[in-house]
Amino acid sequence: MRGKCILVLMLLTLVLASTLSCQSTGNVNAGKKSIVVTYSILGSIVKELVGDKATVTVSIPNGLDPHEWEPSAKDIEAINKADLVVENGLNLEGGMQKTLQTAKDSGVKFFTASDYITVRHVGTGEGIPSGDPDQVVGAPDPHLWMDPIAMKSVVSGLASVLMQDLNLDVSSQAADLENQLDSLNTEVATTLAAIPQENRKLVTGHESMGYFAQRYGFKLVGVIIPSLSTEAEVSAGDLAALKKAIEDNHVKAIFTELGTSPAVAKAIGDETGVKVVELTTHALPPDGSYFTFMMNIANVITNALK
Amino acid sequence: MDWLVTPFSSNAFMVHALIAGVLVSIACAIAGTFVILRGLAFIGDALAHGVLPGIAVAILVGFPGIIGAAIGAAGMIGGITLITQRSRLSSDTAIGLLFVGMLSLGVVIVSRSNSFSGDLTRILFGEILGISVSAIFIQLAATIVIAALAIICARPFLLLSFDPEQAEVAGFSSRLYHSIMLFMIAVTVVVSFQTVGTLLVFGMLIAPAGAGALLARRVEIMMLWAVLFGALSMYFGLLISYHFNLAAGASIVLVTVAIFFVVFIIQNIRGRRAVRPQEATHG
Amino acid sequence: MDSRKQVFASAAGETEAFKMSNGGAPYVRAMHLSIGYPNEVVVADISFELRQGQAIALIGTNGSGKSTLLKTIVGLLPPLGGEVSVFGMRPGSNPRRIAYLGQFHASGFILPLRVVDVVRMGRFPLYGLRRRMGRQDDEIVLSAMRRMGIEKLAESPLRSLSGGQQQRTYLSQVLAHQADLLILDEPTAGLDAGGRELYLQAISDELRRGASIVTATHDIQEEPALCDQVMLLARRVVALGTPQQVLTHDALLETFGIVVFGDQKHVHVLEATHGHDDKERLR
Repeated sequence: MRGKCILVLMLLTLVLASTLSCQSTGNVNAGKKSIVVTYSILGSIVKELVGDKATVTVSIPNGLDPHEWEPSAKDIEAINKADLVVENGLNLEGGMQKTLQTAKDSGVKFFTASDYITVRHVGTGEGIPSGDPDQVVGAPDPHLWMDPIAMKSVVSGLASVLMQDLNLDVSSQAADLENQLDSLNTEVATTLAAIPQENRKLVTGHESMGYFAQRYGFKLVGVIIPSLSTEAEVSAGDLAALKKAIEDNHVKAIFTELGTSPAVAKAIGDETGVKVVELTTHALPPDGSYFTFMMNIANVITNALK
Repeated sequence: MDWLVTPFSSNAFMVHALIAGVLVSIACAIAGTFVILRGLAFIGDALAHGVLPGIAVAILVGFPGIIGAAIGAAGMIGGITLITQRSRLSSDTAIGLLFVGMLSLGVVIVSRSNSFSGDLTRILFGEILGISVSAIFIQLAATIVIAALAIICARPFLLLSFDPEQAEVAGFSSRLYHSIMLFMIAVTVVVSFQTVGTLLVFGMLIAPAGAGALLARRVEIMMLWAVLFGALSMYFGLLISYHFNLAAGASIVLVTVAIFFVVFIIQNIRGRRAVRPQEATHG
Repeated sequence: MDSRKQVFASAAGETEAFKMSNGGAPYVRAMHLSIGYPNEVVVADISFELRQGQAIALIGTNGSGKSTLLKTIVGLLPPLGGEVSVFGMRPGSNPRRIAYLGQFHASGFILPLRVVDVVRMGRFPLYGLRRRMGRQDDEIVLSAMRRMGIEKLAESPLRSLSGGQQQRTYLSQVLAHQADLLILDEPTAGLDAGGRELYLQAISDELRRGASIVTATHDIQEEPALCDQVMLLARRVVALGTPQQVLTHDALLETFGIVVFGDQKHVHVLEATHGHDDKERLR
């Protein structure tokens, strides 16, 4: 037994000693600054703003659910070593919270997009029952990228932080980008104009359209829509609530997000007579452009509700 | 050779993970040795799953998962003890049902939480890459407690593994020391779930000690092997997780199971080739 | 045979002298003792006394109550009625002075234990949890192994031994204890002729040392013939007394349902009663 204790103690000391002597290295890239953005949509804006002046990487691969995604060891390493980390804030990146917090605690520079906008809260009638924390009534809504004007504020905020903390001058790019976002806003509004007032209701299964609705004058109705990401089976109660919501609001289409199966969509369609339309609100289109992204959304909604 | 060291030398979080992991290995090696010697594998697995509801409630309500796990473990041990004492049914059946029930209960509770699948993954598979310094200290304290218990109770544990009746007659209450053993296993599970998660901690309990049992002639050596194998699993598991972008907890347990089977195969080949020592006297 | 009887006779003589100088209070005493399990009386109304330096053999088939009686004396089972005392106290109060050899050994094939580790365990009751053992303990252990002829196997893992060698190891463990009272259930099971010789010599040495012995056995040949008392059990006390008194044709017939023919050396026993279908051949 004695020998065993000694061996174990030696092992322990070895391990502890190696921690104490472990230095955290600085950035490997002495050249360009590295900026890590948590998710793809914000990432595309940052890339437009920064261009070649810094290396921009996105943690969460495009198309994966930013609420749930968890980083691997290399992802954590990239965040710890970044010159600046750009996050959304308001707990959008649910699976990354520990990593982000640890990085903050150890001094990594952060830019939190939600600090630069007027935060919206989920209103009554909008919340999804038994949903994620950002889905209950009163909760702060993190889906700020759905409003181009909010993104404008983010851009100008980011530009000054880049200047201040990283010595990067992107002021002209910022100005350009802000103009483009203004144009986008107008274009979206024009497209949506085709929808008459009484049809401006968004029945969705995931409350991500809050800022959009606020900007373009829509009413939000939140219900549970069975999808692949929630329970495989819908309860009778859920289906009944769905039917009631549809009837009360006289909508022609309901919007779902994370891939409702065709069988379920058909079932709902047969049951209620409405179309189930998929909205991609958390992922960029193939060309990676925020602008295409917003126009797609505008077009899909318009076609469904006009 | 660089790729063996750099992930650790340039990342504090990797070193933290390794330290926590080695501490877990030591605790699991000690507790796991007795799990194997006493044939408690089934109960070890039951405990590992049984803590899930406790953890789930803790997360839901907002207090530290460890406390929830401890309560869950206590409940599980109580349940197991009751069953083994009262049951005419094979206690395996009852215990099996108990832990499946606890597991389901835990999942149901977690499903009420806001970040269901994330939480569940974290509980089942741990988050060793995000281990905090305070968690490391908790693990250190637990490991020390377990080591102390093993040293103090070495003789009765040995006797108990050899023959519970002998233990009793020798003046060591087999009930008491059996309970202490269960307690040790519970502490290990409760603390280690942060690193490798409840589903996988069972692997860390059994595989290194199992490999050690195949190799060693004496219990002390078996435990040493278990520590070594556990620590190696942590190191290479983390390395693999880093280089290939794989889940850390699962990578670690894969390595540890692989080590077990390698040892198993080697021992079997050796066994077949070696001439069986002829007994000089037949009994 | 005669020379052996002589050895025992002289040993007995020495013991008598030893006994008288020690006050001769009974080591084991039973008065109308009933033994069994919570819902089942196995044997009722047992009364006997065993003094220092005496040996008593319990003879009977499986299920006759031998093992139950041994376990009751040792404290593993509570008495169902009547009284039993060991060294004047409740059974189980004196682990330091009693060594027990059970009939079945739970030691699995997994256990990494060497022979010397097993024999060493015999010393544990004398030292409790933590008092350290010294060189003289090592010598006692070595001597115990020598007495059973297994000192060359000291470093071998228990699981690599034959059944007979394992039995010798368990006997060594008992001898290492140097107890005042030895309770042995089927001590010669699996032993070959050489092993049994060593066993008998060891037993006589123990008696000469002043220890008392209770053995339970199927073997009615050598050993019980040389004990001070013999008790025949068949779920009741069929007979109790000296070997000459007890090992009569009629008593054996009742105990085993046997037919005894030939002299004491060659006894053929057939079990026909008590629901045992297996025939037991005793040489």
